[in-house]
Amino acid sequence: MKMKSISKYFISTLGCLSLLISLNAQEVETKASDSIMVQEKYGLRLGVDLSKVTRSFLETDYMGFEINGDYRLLKRLYVAGEIGSEKKTSNTNYLSSTAKGTYLKAGVDYNMYENWAGMENLIYSGLRFGFSNFTQTLNSYTIYDTNSLTWGQNEVVDTESFSGLTSGWIEILLGIKTEVLNNLFIGFNLQIKARLFESEPDNFENIYIPGFGRTYDSGKFGIGFGYNISYLIPLYKRDR
Amino acid sequence: MKKHYLIFSLIAWLFISCEKDDVCPATTQTTPRVIIEFYDIAAPDEIKAVPGLFAIGLDSNANEVTIHNELVSTRSSIALPLQNNSNQTQFKLYESYDLIDSTVSGNPDIITITYDIESLYISRACGYINNYSIQTFSIASDNDQWMINSEILITQITNENEIHIKVLH
Repeated sequence: MKMKSISKYFISTLGCLSLLISLNAQEVETKASDSIMVQEKYGLRLGVDLSKVTRSFLETDYMGFEINGDYRLLKRLYVAGEIGSEKKTSNTNYLSSTAKGTYLKAGVDYNMYENWAGMENLIYSGLRFGFSNFTQTLNSYTIYDTNSLTWGQNEVVDTESFSGLTSGWIEILLGIKTEVLNNLFIGFNLQIKARLFESEPDNFENIYIPGFGRTYDSGKFGIGFGYNISYLIPLYKRDR
Repeated sequence: MKKHYLIFSLIAWLFISCEKDDVCPATTQTTPRVIIEFYDIAAPDEIKAVPGLFAIGLDSNANEVTIHNELVSTRSSIALPLQNNSNQTQFKLYESYDLIDSTVSGNPDIITITYDIESLYISRACGYINNYSIQTFSIASDNDQWMINSEILITQITNENEIHIKVLH
């Protein structure tokens, strides 16, 4: 089952990539027939993830901040990346733990949207490699014992920290970026992640990985989203 | 358009395949109890049932603690829960227990089990369970002792499918 899931994932990834390449090829063909001289902005776009800022204020067990950026290389291709920091406390009936650390994601975005002349919005898919360096703290746990009615439940508050943990993952994004004011963009994206490696704490596991998000018992996959506001610093213009 | 379908179906599949793993399933291996089996003192290899066997826990102040789900019955083995916040648990084991007009009859013997505790990680939903390593097992001697001798068969208590302690009577 697991192997099947992983192969499914990689087939999808390969599928996306091959489509990207085929779209690129189409673009080359159409360029020659493009007679209107409209220029498009090229530059560095920098922004923050508003959802992480909002959650930091609304949720007591979450603190997070992320700066994201992209640089337009080609008409449709951007190099993109995120750098951020997260602290998240996860609680279940029997366990409380806190993960805290920083992460870096780097990759590309590919704009799939054919803009009208003068507009520079994006509907994009992206690929990232993510890396996180974090500490996980076991705050407290209750011994799982279905016979605890005799002697009572035993909660152990014995804080133990596992530092220097690392994890890496691959991520596929799907998102939009809309220019709402001149050079100011708002955007939303959805992220699907697959963990490539992680260092597991002894007699415990990684409940949450900064940048990756919560882990699931079912496998190496994770999901995430971002709500970004960003500003484009135009560096030069190029014909459409 | 084809690509959009591909990505959306991937997202849909991902959401479907995510399970609710914050609730501890009832089938999870729990913290095991110690299993004691009773054998015939005259024929030490033969299992011998104890008539009217009943167990009561004793806390560190020797107060009696009712064991949940423990009922008087004639049987050849018993499962006893150990205290998780102590390295020692005492029980009072009755032979031929009876309760008539709030008067207890029967023959009580006190046993003491000492052990080391090891906590093992299970999952985010269930947390940890304890396993025990039996250090000593002793029967307090009295004038009318029904449990004569004992032997620790398995020191590591990791499940309830094995007999940990053998008692001869």
